[in-house]
Amino acid sequence: MTSLVKPKTLFVGLSLLCVLATWLSLALGPVSLPLLDTLKAALRLVGVPIEAQGLEQAELILGQIRLPRTLLGLAVGGVLALSGVAMQGLFRNPLADPGLVGVSSGAALGAAIAIVGGSLLGGLPDALGPYLLSLCAFLGGLGVTALVYRLGRHNGQTNVATMLLAGIALTALAGSAVGLFTYLADDATLRTLAFWNLGSLNGASYSRLWPLLLVSAGVALWLPRRAKALNALLLGESEANHLGIDVERLKRELVFCTALGVGAAVAAAGMIGFVGLVVPHLVRLLAGPDHRVLLPASVLAGASLLLFADLVARLALAPAELPIGIVTAFIGAPFFLYLLLRGRA
Amino acid sequence: MRLSASAIALVVGLLVNPGAQASEPPQRWVSAGGALSEWVTALGGESKLVGVDTTSQHPESLKALPSIGYQRQLSAEGILSLRPQVLVGTEEMGPPPVLAQIRNAGVQVEMFSAQPDLPSLNGNLQHLGKLLGDETKARELFAGYEQALVQQKNWVAKARSTQKAPGVLLLIGHAGGKPLIAGKDTAGDWVLRQAGGHNLATHSGYKPFSVESLAGLSPDVLVFADRALTGDAARAALFKENPIVASTPAAKNGRVFELDPTLLVGGLGPRLPQSLVHLSSGFYPPQAKPSP
Repeated sequence: MTSLVKPKTLFVGLSLLCVLATWLSLALGPVSLPLLDTLKAALRLVGVPIEAQGLEQAELILGQIRLPRTLLGLAVGGVLALSGVAMQGLFRNPLADPGLVGVSSGAALGAAIAIVGGSLLGGLPDALGPYLLSLCAFLGGLGVTALVYRLGRHNGQTNVATMLLAGIALTALAGSAVGLFTYLADDATLRTLAFWNLGSLNGASYSRLWPLLLVSAGVALWLPRRAKALNALLLGESEANHLGIDVERLKRELVFCTALGVGAAVAAAGMIGFVGLVVPHLVRLLAGPDHRVLLPASVLAGASLLLFADLVARLALAPAELPIGIVTAFIGAPFFLYLLLRGRA
Repeated sequence: MRLSASAIALVVGLLVNPGAQASEPPQRWVSAGGALSEWVTALGGESKLVGVDTTSQHPESLKALPSIGYQRQLSAEGILSLRPQVLVGTEEMGPPPVLAQIRNAGVQVEMFSAQPDLPSLNGNLQHLGKLLGDETKARELFAGYEQALVQQKNWVAKARSTQKAPGVLLLIGHAGGKPLIAGKDTAGDWVLRQAGGHNLATHSGYKPFSVESLAGLSPDVLVFADRALTGDAARAALFKENPIVASTPAAKNGRVFELDPTLLVGGLGPRLPQSLVHLSSGFYPPQAKPSP
């Protein structure tokens, strides 16, 4: 596959796109703020001493609502796209998606347990209550992925094909467990569960943001260091081994980073589909399969795509808002079909 | 839409002094909760509403207001863009982080009970009356409501002395398809019992039913609440989608009644007594209708 765009051009373009998306995400919303106020408030937020007179409204909207939301979008989009690259590299299949190793279905199961079980238990400590859902989703994703990985191991070797099948089986199992919880749920919890499954950046707050920012920064710094190993893996496992790559270690790292990154993203924003599948494809189409370009470029592209999707989500029906999962899948699904029909998938 | 200077001044004022609004009743309201919006309207506050959620379907005129989406999935900035002074909703309103953001922006967030019982309604009405600055009217409305329900209860008690309570099932569906049956601990169950029916369903919550068990229960009366269709169209769809329903005693005797599904959301609403009268006159047919 030849690249359409030089890596340097791609990085400049994507960086500009990402900056534009960030600015639009800060500047646009159901509350119309004068551009100058937005600019001043943004400068004040980064510590530039500007007269605060008349900026209270802008500062509040920007600082308490749009900035955490934008940061959440950047982190979630980046880490989902990155995990997509990791999975497609691991399975050596461009149709792979972070859901394959069970992290999404595990997180959904964790969320269902928290939403339905939490309302059945009732008397939870107040401090834990607001974080129960995120915690359960994170642990669920991590747990199921660990199980899939464990099932794929035999005699100290990880068989990727077995892992794939184990992932499918456990996804089905988790799916029916979620179904059971859905059946047990009352009307109210059912709606909560349904909306959680569609994802949203709504209601982002700093206290929920920090764990995700730390995890995604870690993953985003670590995975690109393994770009060469991923390139070698494209040739095949034994070939990569002969090139001196510790393939077992690489697989372990890829699965671990994906579980951690997607788990944290899903815990913070719910299920957001198709970013992990589509963004690596887009970048590969533009710049070719070299992971040294693919990994960092996917972070930028994923973050930008999610912010644009979020803009649609919050503006299309204002003052109400769409779940972002609807918007990303709306863009993602037709693109996926297009790739399939082009016969190169 | 550019925020006017006065609105900014107001927000600032509220930020500086959160107690400032106590003296002056709030003039811009957003309501998240069907029954609550109806009560605000009944208390004469409709002109103050600047936005409602998707469960606020009555009166019809509320549909013309900007929609803030579903009550559990509110958007902070969306609501703030309506420049409300107060957001009212039931405890079903959320998510909590969004409510916190709205509160931080200086908007009063008032929570009401969604429990379908009279003490909760009394509390809600008094609270609303205070916010709207018309506590007398709130008291009157509650007294009238209480009286209507007492009358209803007496009427049912009298009917029961001569007739057995009918076995009833409440089916909630969408254009007749795959209806759910209202079990214990639901607003639907409360409505059936209040109207003098004996709910045959013993499960809790709203659950899909098996055709066999429905036939086995042989209900005397069926009540259906359809979200998509009304009247005869909904009835026809119910029979068409669920042929077994037509073979129940209720259908054979023509005792299939309609209930507005919006009555089952968000606590006791002002239209409920009227619907109860309608239902119980269907449950106990030969009796004279109760005086309204």
